[in-house]
Amino acid sequence: MSTKPGANWVGAKFNRKEDHRLITGKGRYLADLSMPGALHLVFVRSEQAHAKIKKIEVSAAKALPGVVMVVTGEDIKTKIKPMPQPVVQPALAANYPKHWPLAVGKVKFHGEPIAAIVARDKYVAADAAELVRAEYEPLPYIGDPEKALADKSNRVHDEWPDNVIFQMTFTGGAEAEKNDAEVDRIFKSADVVVRQRFKTHRCGVTPMETRGALMSWDDSDGLTAYITTQRPHIDRLALSDILEIPAEKIRVIAPRDQGGGFGVKAPFYREPMLVAYLTRELKRPIRWVESRQEHLMAVSQERDQIHDIEVAASKDGKLLALRNRGVADCGDGCEGVYWGFLMPFLGCVELPNAYDWPIGDVKLKVAVTNKSALSPARAFGEFPTRFAMERVIDMVAKKCGMEPADFRRKNVVKHLPHTSITGEYFDSGDFVKVWDNLMNQVDLKGFRREQEAARKQGRYLGIGFGLGVELSGVASELLVPMESQPGYGAATVRIDPRAKVIVFEGDAPQGQGHETTVAQAVAASFGIHPNDIVVTTGDTGTTPFGSGTIGARAGSYFVSAAVMACTELKRKIARFMIHDLKVENATMDDFEFADGDIVFKKNSNIKKSFREMVERIIMAPINMPAGESGGLEHTAFFEAAKPMICFNADCAKVEIDINTGQFKILSWTTSEDVGQIINPQIVEGQMQGAVVQGLSNAMFEQFVYDENGQQLTADFENYKLATAADVPEIKVTHAPTPCPHTPLGSRGIGEGRPSSVPGTISNAICDALAPFGIEITELPLRPNQIWQKIQAAKKKAAD
Amino acid sequence: MYPAVIEDYQRPASIDEALKAAARYDAGEALFLAGGQSLMQAMKSRLVRPRCVIDLQAVKDLKGVSASGAGVRIGAMTRYVEIAKEAKLKGAYGALGDAAAHVGDRQVRNRGTIGGSLCWNYLAACMPAANLGVGSSMELISASGKKRTLVADEFIKGPLDTARTDDEVLVATTLPAAPSKAGSAYKKWGLVTDALPVIGVAVYVELDGGGAISKARFAVGGLATGPKRAKGAEAALIGKKASDAAAIAAAAEKASAELETQSDLWADSAYRKNLIRSLGGEMIALASKRAAGQ
Amino acid sequence: MNKTVKITINGEVFEQSVPVRMLLSDFIREVASLTGTHIGCTYEGVCGACTVQVDGEAVKSCLMLASQADGHNVTTIEGLAKDGKLSPLQQAFNDHHALQCGFCTPGILMNMDEFLKVNPNPTDDEIRTGLVGNLCRCTGYAHIIDAVRDAAKRAR
Ligand SMILES: Cc1cc2nc3c(=O)[nH]c(=O)nc-3n(C[C@H](O)[C@H](O)[C@H](O)COP(=O)(O)OP(=O)(O)OC[C@H]3O[C@@H](n4cnc5c(N)ncnc54)[C@H](O)[C@@H]3O)c2cc1C
Ligand code: FES
Ligand code: FES
Repeated sequence: MSTKPGANWVGAKFNRKEDHRLITGKGRYLADLSMPGALHLVFVRSEQAHAKIKKIEVSAAKALPGVVMVVTGEDIKTKIKPMPQPVVQPALAANYPKHWPLAVGKVKFHGEPIAAIVARDKYVAADAAELVRAEYEPLPYIGDPEKALADKSNRVHDEWPDNVIFQMTFTGGAEAEKNDAEVDRIFKSADVVVRQRFKTHRCGVTPMETRGALMSWDDSDGLTAYITTQRPHIDRLALSDILEIPAEKIRVIAPRDQGGGFGVKAPFYREPMLVAYLTRELKRPIRWVESRQEHLMAVSQERDQIHDIEVAASKDGKLLALRNRGVADCGDGCEGVYWGFLMPFLGCVELPNAYDWPIGDVKLKVAVTNKSALSPARAFGEFPTRFAMERVIDMVAKKCGMEPADFRRKNVVKHLPHTSITGEYFDSGDFVKVWDNLMNQVDLKGFRREQEAARKQGRYLGIGFGLGVELSGVASELLVPMESQPGYGAATVRIDPRAKVIVFEGDAPQGQGHETTVAQAVAASFGIHPNDIVVTTGDTGTTPFGSGTIGARAGSYFVSAAVMACTELKRKIARFMIHDLKVENATMDDFEFADGDIVFKKNSNIKKSFREMVERIIMAPINMPAGESGGLEHTAFFEAAKPMICFNADCAKVEIDINTGQFKILSWTTSEDVGQIINPQIVEGQMQGAVVQGLSNAMFEQFVYDENGQQLTADFENYKLATAADVPEIKVTHAPTPCPHTPLGSRGIGEGRPSSVPGTISNAICDALAPFGIEITELPLRPNQIWQKIQAAKKKAAD
Repeated sequence: MYPAVIEDYQRPASIDEALKAAARYDAGEALFLAGGQSLMQAMKSRLVRPRCVIDLQAVKDLKGVSASGAGVRIGAMTRYVEIAKEAKLKGAYGALGDAAAHVGDRQVRNRGTIGGSLCWNYLAACMPAANLGVGSSMELISASGKKRTLVADEFIKGPLDTARTDDEVLVATTLPAAPSKAGSAYKKWGLVTDALPVIGVAVYVELDGGGAISKARFAVGGLATGPKRAKGAEAALIGKKASDAAAIAAAAEKASAELETQSDLWADSAYRKNLIRSLGGEMIALASKRAAGQ
Repeated sequence: MNKTVKITINGEVFEQSVPVRMLLSDFIREVASLTGTHIGCTYEGVCGACTVQVDGEAVKSCLMLASQADGHNVTTIEGLAKDGKLSPLQQAFNDHHALQCGFCTPGILMNMDEFLKVNPNPTDDEIRTGLVGNLCRCTGYAHIIDAVRDAAKRAR
């Protein structure tokens, strides 16, 4: 039997299977699901950032006709076990704030839920929410993470000694002190040293569909919970612990269609806890559909890191050492799984990026403040560290008198596998090949000539580069310590008697095209058509355990598990073929699965149709090979021995109007190593989307809290996303190296992809403005700030 | 969010019926609904809680653009989509078309009306500044049948404030017959394409026989104090030729200096001034070009 | 408080007494049970996911009261395919991978369907500005532009 699955569907352009229902309005997202008699739940949220709750008056709300129940934190604190619970608590040493779904005692950010209304009608629920009156005693707003770290007297969590949720040294291991001393020594003697502070603002990747939950209770079956979630299996365990319901009485289902997640739907949040609790209390179905305002107040805020970076280099442009002191503002940190600090943690792990650092000293402190807890967003934690790194690399190159492109090529990791100074493992790939492919797409020398000529006419053109090594799935080696969860991918492949194949996936996609990608891989494996494969995802009642749709796990872990399961089933089918057809001298490798047939390679007259064999094994389990049983179903678990990566490089060209600071992106070119491509269109779509998300974050989106902690950006008029007219088309090119550690050679892609964007675009702007000596060190990149820098530079030049 | 309870919905067929419907309620309790592209936001966020909504969609007398010897008349219920492509507004009143063509997005332009925008007079809005720029007038009628006409300078007040009383319907915006060499233009800047203006500038000019500017209006939207004219800049333009780049820049500079600007989420005060300067220069040039028939 | 409205949606007449404050988007989703029209905003009306056509023109159904649509014709995403056959625009979206999660897609299709009637030969820049009222978080828009351009070409 051929163990190399037929490659015809793998790598083929194939229109997505998901699309038909979605373009005809037949998608079923959470808000589209219904249960007879479902009640509507609405949260009442704090209007203050930090305050003692003196009283919450709910009687008027309760009295409104149609209102079924009103609860506050005081009502539930003895009924629900507080967070943290072990299943959603990382194994990292940190302070884990105790919290309930509704504020108890005090409120810790503007937008924290303080009460909930359950009503028969959603309009009435909104009316009742307005009638809830909270009396507060204001406390000083803690909004600056650096001040919060220094000030122990004014605390976000009263029961803590200070405002430090997490701190860590990422370098040197057990010998950290010795390591730091060595780093000191190198900095003292280095030819070139650059020190710079970089700040990335609070922004994230709010999906177009907000969060929500729809649940029902049955005394014998327990809880059925539809939740917008990337990790239904984890939600199930966490709900079980919080509500003290046996896990077997909880079934969590992520709706088949979810309107984007990007990390935002990965945490275990407070809101579904309360919906579950009240569903059980009332024994009536309850629906909660988050409003955009709630969404932008309570979740989808990420980034928000400050990095003081120092780089030592030799004058011929070789990197010698890296030092970093990171500070992150994690908000109140009350968020299961991530606790606001896992993002900056991973950001620091990934700080060294693709560069070959001999040594480094990387430290991070994370503060709690009176803001919403950071929740994950694609380019998890590393959007800020990549921005800092890609910018500082340009600054060092400049100081060495080198073209930043040449400096990158010189310092990029040349030999893989490689372990970075922060301990990150790069399994395979060829960074130089990817880089050279990029340089072949962009004529750097020609651009420099054009730039020179344009400057003479008062036009300012610039070119910028950036790199990104990203996770291809999250290995247990990282995920067990980081999130107390397994990294393996799991898939059940079930062949039905009519030769349809059903694949069960425990993770819950939100638009990534799993149904198509895995169908192509399975079709290639069995030699059948992708339309003969259906995929069921995200239902804990039917799917194998999976940690969730996170860290680009699909192309790496999930597809690999599905292919492994297929291989196992093919072995079984081959054994039946050998037995039934009395094939002599055959091994399992002698059968090829192609075009709906199973063919004996040494004599193509010996063949059976796939369907015939499937029916025979499932429906006629008599006269079997010794030791065999009927049926065709297998669950496989895939885990590579070590973590895996994918890699990309970006180049942007811009033109800036120095009179306004407004800039235009002239072109954006990428070079990618995604390993073996399964569906080129889906890969291309991931890249287009990721780069645009990165640009939208870098240029437009920003969560703003005023000096009293009032969040000013909780709607789409004030939290601005890039529109179609604001972004360029991305030219995506490939320079792949198949991953040797996955069955198809595929790599998981897309999750980390936005992270090289802010550095690339900033480098292009700085390059354009080189005559003014401008260095961008803070995001977002607003024309206003660029113009101010030009003004300051002009003034300095005039003085 | 959803609007608070609304007791009644009326869809009058005439101005008279609309005024009568409004008269049944105390001032401010019944609101006219035009395109709803501002009012619906306000009702859903419960900034306003009307007891009655009077939908003007069926009032034919409020719709359409007509031209006569006296000038151009734009019914209050004329939508952006119609204004953007209206030939009668090209040249002298091109600023209105410029503004309408870039309000929000297609869907908003398919519903939003010039009258609604003027009556709402939001801080970051295009139509109020553009109307102040071209010097239009507003025809109002009240429940008592009283009609009055106010020039834009009288009608438009601070943000969310106009000279209209709650019982008045805005019937139309009128524009005087323009001399042959007149032109106007409007442009705004916002963080994303066609966003609410951080600053919007409208300029109207008339040229004399020799091609020098004989009359100028320069209006700015996006200011905390509401749309304002820059009268110093207007004066500075008189007698200047459109080809005189230095004079145009100086006038835009004057506008930037004389108007008070604020800092907010979108721009600091200095950048707003810079936008007045850069957009102002561009719009003086464009309005002059249109005036010259180019 | 309540008002009887008669709204024709995709050719089917819905006559029902509803609260005056009911949004058209809720009428479509909850009274007519057509859930292809999506909601992405609180009150601001920016995202465009709720875009439908009223008398053939693209509008945001979250910024209308159901009462305003009384007596009018509404077309939703469910009404775009005729007799089970995808419209050329829908087909182009599938061919060009112009959607990922699909949440924004119905609104985009309803807007672009009208856009192409008004402007059958759009430039890429015109398509991009035509899309300003529809946010998409997944695709980066490029494939949507490809699909609209191609649909226009196919119609010629
Ligand atoms: C997504 C989005 C983007 C937008 N972008 C922009 C932009 O870029 N620039 C911009 O300028 N605006 C923008 N707007 C606002 C838009 O211009 C509104 O359409 C306009 O402000 C209101 O016009 P309307 O016809 O919709 O009026 P409505 O919202 O119906 O009414 C507004 C107010 O005027 C009153 N009113 C309306 N008509 C009359 C009348 N004839 N007589 C008396 N009172 C009346 C109403 O009672 C109400 O108080 C945007 C809106 C949205 C939703
Ligand atoms: S829900 Fe209507 S525009 Fe967003
Ligand atoms: S496809 Fe997901 S928002 Fe557009």
